[in-house]
Amino acid sequence: MTALGEAALWIALPIALWGTVASFAGGRLGRGQLVASGERSVHVVTALLVLVSAGIVAAFLGNRYEYLYVVSYSNRELDPYFKFAGLWAGQRGSLVFWTLLLSVFSSIAVFRNRLRNREFMPYVSGTLLGILAFLLVVLLFADVNPFERLGFTRINGLGLNPQLQNYWMTIHPPTLYLGFTAFAVPFAFAVSALLTGRLDSRWIAVTRRWILLSWFFLTCGIIFGMRWAYEELGWGGYWFWDPVENASLLPWLTATAFLHSIQIQEHRGMLKVWNMALVTLTFLLTIFATFLTRSGLIESVHSFAENLRIAYIFLGFMCAMAILAALLIVHRLPSLRPDNQIRSFLSRESAFLFNNLLLLGITFAVAWGTLFPLITEGLLGETRNVGPPYFNRVNIPVGLLLLTLMGVGPIIAWRKASARNLKRNFALPLLAGVVALGVLLLMGVRHGMALATFAIGAFVLATVVAEFWRGTRARARISGEGVLRAVGGLVRRNRRRWGGYVVHAGVAVVFMGIAGAAFDRRVVQELEPGEAMTVTSALGGVYRLVYESLSHSRPRVAEDVRENDWRWTALVTAYRDGEQIGVLRPERRFYPVMDQSSTEVGISSSALEDLYVIPREVDVDTERASFEVKVLPLVPWIWVGGLVIAVGGLVALWPPSAGPQLRPVRRWSP
Amino acid sequence: MVAVVGAVLLATGVVLAVLEPIFAGRSAPLYDEDSGAAEAKARRRVALVALRELEYDRATGKLDSADYEVLRAELAHNALAHLALAGGEEEADEDAELEAEIAEMRRALEAGLQCGACEHVNRFGARYCGECGVALADL
Repeated sequence: MTALGEAALWIALPIALWGTVASFAGGRLGRGQLVASGERSVHVVTALLVLVSAGIVAAFLGNRYEYLYVVSYSNRELDPYFKFAGLWAGQRGSLVFWTLLLSVFSSIAVFRNRLRNREFMPYVSGTLLGILAFLLVVLLFADVNPFERLGFTRINGLGLNPQLQNYWMTIHPPTLYLGFTAFAVPFAFAVSALLTGRLDSRWIAVTRRWILLSWFFLTCGIIFGMRWAYEELGWGGYWFWDPVENASLLPWLTATAFLHSIQIQEHRGMLKVWNMALVTLTFLLTIFATFLTRSGLIESVHSFAENLRIAYIFLGFMCAMAILAALLIVHRLPSLRPDNQIRSFLSRESAFLFNNLLLLGITFAVAWGTLFPLITEGLLGETRNVGPPYFNRVNIPVGLLLLTLMGVGPIIAWRKASARNLKRNFALPLLAGVVALGVLLLMGVRHGMALATFAIGAFVLATVVAEFWRGTRARARISGEGVLRAVGGLVRRNRRRWGGYVVHAGVAVVFMGIAGAAFDRRVVQELEPGEAMTVTSALGGVYRLVYESLSHSRPRVAEDVRENDWRWTALVTAYRDGEQIGVLRPERRFYPVMDQSSTEVGISSSALEDLYVIPREVDVDTERASFEVKVLPLVPWIWVGGLVIAVGGLVALWPPSAGPQLRPVRRWSP
Repeated sequence: MVAVVGAVLLATGVVLAVLEPIFAGRSAPLYDEDSGAAEAKARRRVALVALRELEYDRATGKLDSADYEVLRAELAHNALAHLALAGGEEEADEDAELEAEIAEMRRALEAGLQCGACEHVNRFGARYCGECGVALADL
């Protein structure tokens, strides 16, 4: 199986190259047979990449330690579950996985458009196959071939990094990769629109669902990553502005900007060049994210020995794509003129435009901070890092402005808002914000940024609720439906709008959850079994933790490395205000093969805050242990907000149901 | 040896599969059956959806009368420009539905069901605004 997979990797490249040439030539010369051959190539490359991936998985499951990649990320003791995930555990496999997902999406796009949008399709399959060919070249010739042999067979592998041995490993990376790869389809359609000169909103209408799909997976992927960091890294945080995290945030920011700006193009025929630029930028950032995460570029700053060939190849590809897209846009500039002008500062268009500028501002700030070590290395010859303080100082104020616009955008009118519109639509939400601010001040909250976040968050939530209420009321009055039916009807009529509003509400909740970090409490204490410690929450609750006992699952013979990990588990009973809220089992683990230890934290969640217990040091003989205990207010809101965002995304994404809805309507509904 | 034979067989099969459309003379369509109509339909649909949004914004009091009239004229012009070209069976239903919906909304607004004072949209047959009590016929 593995040998077949290796063969498939070599065969896939010429097929992808042929398909690229055949598709473009077929489109240009009007030769339907070449186009058909190109489209067939897409499906064949997908099938071959399935074989390649199956080959890698087979090598992992079959403990084939003659392969460098398998040796680097697996060992005999590893759970088969994680062996399967070995496909994306390291750079080589991840690139295969990325390529596989891209090919699957390409196949779906080609299949779904086999009878429609035909003028676009030769160039769409050509572009997608071109990207696939590039990735295959990287896999085969940039020292990242997953099938590279050692020349001898090792008895055992080196094992998988303990931090990756977590169930999120099988959820987070694939979700993020789905988001990255799905965005190649809108990009391919945009290139096709530029090449064919069909520059109206059609390419956007065709790819709207792909854009939403990509955005949905990116969002879920990022939230899953936050949750993973929170559970597994054991420092009580969910975001550290780490290069790899930032890399996934960058395309999300531009994709979000794009989702908003395409609406201006659809409604008002403006921002056509901007949208072309955004779709290109987002695609390039998905490539950049993969390459930053997997090339070792930023890490290389700390270990100079790294082979950077792959970094240069990716950089070259990105530059080539950027130049190509820029040339195409300039070439088509006369056809990309706006149909309208922005009439007023107070209008939905300008709210969307500001939203775009702010999102791009954050993108730039995050990219700058992430690349700062490289830039200083290049210019000054020494590496300087910027840490979370830089990112927080820049992004929190801009983020709050963005949050404000999230409330303003939906309720301000297109074109030009009248004074009456402003008064009528903004009075209630503003009141909600002011009331929230007043209540928090009365409660004694004095943290400026947190106060601002809660007030603006309340404003946004109120706008969403008010919008739903108004729409429902209007529909219920006119169609005579009950409230529930009216809400359902409302959402069904315009899923994108109402799904978007739900997403706004979710984001507001996430922001408020993040603002809770202003009130974190932390205590470190060493305890003997039977002893207790207390922590007081910023919200007033008093937590008492009793360290009951320590159990361990270390093998009898210390040299016996047949076990994947050794575990020391502390049993801690937690009380809040005297009432037992749970029994926590924080753990220290040691992975003998990797000679690494890791921490499993104990978390007890309530609606308002998390109790977070980190075992720091454990003395096996005396059973003394030191614990770091944190009370983290509003963290649960982040996950709830994430869920709301996901639900909103699904609402927007859900295909319109055919059938009953297609009957002519008797009454209007918004 | 087995691996080499497998690889050769795979390569042969793959090449045949990719070149089959050329040898068999199987052509992929290069244009939609009626590409002009498809494009017009897409544009018209965009304009119709925008019209619906506009009517909604008007009904919920986000637009005042003057702006509403200007925007509606602009969007209706766009929609009508592509109306004659658009055809096809598949999406006709959906467009008809959309248009019926917009027409209904417009009728409701024109029939004075939306209160001119507070912009509340009233039930069919209402004589006084359910929100502020103004007589609808007066406005």
